[in-house]
Formats: sequence, structure tokens, C-alpha cells
Amino acid sequence: MRKYTVIYMANLMSNLQYMANIIINSLGFIVHIFIFFHVWNYIYENPAELIYGFSKTQMVWYVTITEIIFCSVAGRRMVRTICNEVRSGNVAYNINKPYSYVGYIMFSNLGEVTIRLVFYVMIGLGLGITFLGSIPTITIIEGIVIAISWILSIIINMLFLTFIGLLAFIMEDSNPMYWLYSKMQLIFGIVFPLEFFPTAIQPIIKISPIFVTSYGPAKLFIDFNWRFAIIVILAQIAYLLISLGLCKLMYMKGVKKLNVNGG
Amino acid sequence: MLMEVKNQINVTLKSIKYSIMKEMLNKGTFLMNIFFMILNDASFIIQWIIIYNIKEDVGGYTFNQVLLLWGIAAGIFGVSRFLFKNAFHLSDFITNGKLDSYLVQPKNVLLAVISSSSDSSALGDIFYGYILVFLSGFTVIKFLLFTLFMITGAIIVTDIAIILGSLSFWINRSDILADTGNGLMTNFATYPDGIFKGSARAMLYSIIPVGVTVYMPVQVLTSFNYSMFFIINVITLILTFFTFFIFYKGLRKYSSSNLMFSKI
Repeated sequence: MRKYTVIYMANLMSNLQYMANIIINSLGFIVHIFIFFHVWNYIYENPAELIYGFSKTQMVWYVTITEIIFCSVAGRRMVRTICNEVRSGNVAYNINKPYSYVGYIMFSNLGEVTIRLVFYVMIGLGLGITFLGSIPTITIIEGIVIAISWILSIIINMLFLTFIGLLAFIMEDSNPMYWLYSKMQLIFGIVFPLEFFPTAIQPIIKISPIFVTSYGPAKLFIDFNWRFAIIVILAQIAYLLISLGLCKLMYMKGVKKLNVNGG
Repeated sequence: MLMEVKNQINVTLKSIKYSIMKEMLNKGTFLMNIFFMILNDASFIIQWIIIYNIKEDVGGYTFNQVLLLWGIAAGIFGVSRFLFKNAFHLSDFITNGKLDSYLVQPKNVLLAVISSSSDSSALGDIFYGYILVFLSGFTVIKFLLFTLFMITGAIIVTDIAIILGSLSFWINRSDILADTGNGLMTNFATYPDGIFKGSARAMLYSIIPVGVTVYMPVQVLTSFNYSMFFIINVITLILTFFTFFIFYKGLRKYSSSNLMFSKI
């Protein structure tokens, strides 16, 4: 585990040198929150109105939290990097190293993710309080559970992104898979809670990764209850194992087919 | 003069043709990218169906107008990235000294750079744009106006990308600023302007000119308006002249980094 800590720390320190980049990048995140605030402000003519059981305040907080979780990971770049390494054969440099490639990818990205997460949580909470004037009331213990749930959701998301990147072993370009994955996350998890969808679709969302990466962690923040928290955390542990297994399997199968063209 | 313009157009068209041919080397990937981009764009229809189930109009737009808004936005970004992909990577060319090989060519440097690469998935955006125009109610006039606005919008979006990319002539590592600026154009272009009020709305008709690329064209397509039609075309022309001015002013400050690389 020490070697992964070193990889993580190296990435963390390197990204701390480029804080200006992260600050400029956060503009996109701020704009997303700004747009959704205006969308929900327009839709909720009466602030006390409930739509599918959600008040305007809850909807804005829901989108803010899902955006924090999703934007903390530079998903497009992560998939593109893995995809390019597989396509170019550069992945071969990591085969003879004393660490797992999946572990290396995860920890080498976690440094940047940590900085982004801390930064986006501060901005997100700041924007939420500015727009709405209040924050949901939660106890310290509840806050810790929510934080664990957010961290697990980010790790699961990163593992799925790694899996998508590794799909380049079996298809020429896995970037289109990322487009679909991110849009599914956006439509079925980030923008709308599952209550907004027809009852026939809701069970599918509940068993999909979207439940553990977007809906569950955000719902805990806006309407915490212990029974739901246990369900979310257990589902996240299950998905953590599934996504990790998928990555390992894809890497093991893919690396056997690897052709390195020298040079 | 006319002969020179004709030659320049020919060279640019050939440059675009070869960059598209390069993208088509692997036909399977080429077609898959287009198909997945259409699917990617289409997923947003679900978002709008849900919103219109809650409220009958959003920002003064009917569902059909939102389809048009999305169609134009997708088409614009499709055309700009399909024909002028490198406009969005101009910072990299300037910072890393990759302009050298274009400077020695006896043709327009800017056009040669931006047309030297193509994005095949952007073709999916263009197809998707036309699909939405058909879904929102097809007429020949609408089809022609849509095509024109897709071109004017693509020119403006490319102009903005070039201006932001040209900042690298003066500011080091401004690539992130350019990426963020280009991202802002995409984010705002897919939501009706009616949901924004006051200074936010004013910004969309000035600093982030989504109003001219998307909102005004939707209004003209919904009910034809000569003055808006005129404004869109004039602004496109003025911004394009300004873009060339900025790029060539910045080019004087360009210095080669002695980089050797192959253009395949």
C-alpha cells in the first residue's frame, strides 16, 4: 500500500503547483450550478411548491451535490489518457512495474481529485448558501456518513471510468462509451432525482451505478435518514467490488492481446 | 485579388478534404463515433421531456422551439469541430511552436492551421441538428435558414475559439482559459435565454455571444425577422475580420520553439 501512497502524494503535490488551472477549470462547474439554479428558479414559480416531493431548495442542493461529486473527477481526460495509453502501446511500460495498473491509474488521479473535491465543496456550499440562504441541517455523525458516501461514490465513478478507458483493448476508441456513460449519469442522476422518472424506469435506476454515484449521496445530504444511509453505503460497497472486479478482468484479458510495435 | 481568394478557398477545401480522409482511415471507428455522438446528443431530449411534463413553457420556449435550439446548437458545434477542429487547439500550436510548418506555406496561415484536422464525431452533431429540425416541423425555407444559421454560428464559435486561443501569443499557459471559454459557449447555448434575467442575459448577447449564434436564429426560424437576420450576418462578418486581426497581431509575437514533429 505504501507505493500507492507515494503515487498519490506525488500526484497531489504536483497538482498543488497548478492551483490556477483548477481555479480556472472551476468556472465550468460554477456555470453549471448557475444554469441549474436559474432553470429551477423558473420552474418553481412558488418557492413553497413541491414537485415530486422536492422543494426548490432541495432541488438546487441536489444538483449542487451531484455536480460536486461528478465534476471532482476529470472523467473525459481520465478515459482519454487510458484509451491513448492502450492504443499507443504505452501501457506496456506499466506491465513490468511492481504495482497493479488499475491501482496506479486510481492513485495517480486521486491526488487531483482530492484537490478538486475540497475546492468544489467550498464553492458548491458557498453558491448554495448564496442562492438559497440556508443549508440542510445535519448532525456531525450524519455529516461523516454523508462524507463517506461521497468519497465512495467518487471512487466507484473513477473505477467505472477506468473500465471504460480499458475497453480500448477490445475496441479502437472507447471515448464514445464515455460520452454515453456521462450522459446517462447526467440525465438519470445529476439533473433529476429518480422520483422524476416514470415508475417503470425507477427500479432500473435504483439497481444501476447511478444510484450509488449520484442519487444516493445527494439524497442523503438533502433528506438524511439512517435506513436509507445504510442502503446507500451497502450498495456502494457492492458496486465498489463489482467495478474493481470489472477493471481487473478487463485489464487481465486485454493485456494478453497487447501488441507492442516497438520504437 | 479574386484569383487569390479563389486559390485560398481551393487550398482550404483541399485541406479540409484530406483531414476528413484521414479520419475515415478506420471506417468502423468513424461510423461508430458518428452514431454514438447522435445517441449522446439525443439523451438530452429526455431531460426536456421531463421538464415540459412539469411546466408547459420554459423561458418562453415551447418544446418545438427547444428542439430547434438544440438542433442549431448541435449543428453549430458540429460544423465548427468537423471543419476547423484545430481552432480549438490553437493554444497548443502557439505555445509549443507548432506553427512553424504553416508559416512557410505561401497561403493563409490561420486557415491552414484550423482546417488541418477534423473531428469525425462532430458529423454526428450535424446529423442530429438536421434530425431535430425535421422533428420540429419541416419546411424548405426552415431547412435553408437552419443551414445558413448553422454556418454563421459555426463561424462565430470558431472565431471565439481562435481569439481565446490567440491569447497564448501574450499569456503563457492560457490553454485552460481558452478551454473554459469554449465550454461556456456550449453550456449556455443549450438552455433558453428566457430563464436568465438582467446582467446574465445581457452577457449572453455580448461577452458570450450565444444570443447571436443560437437564440436569435431560433427567433428568426420561428417567425422571420429581417432586422435580426441582418444583425446575425453582420456580426458574423465583423467578428471574423476582428478574429483575423487579433491572430495576425499576435503572430508577430510568435517565436518558434525549434520543435520537430511530423504532420501525417
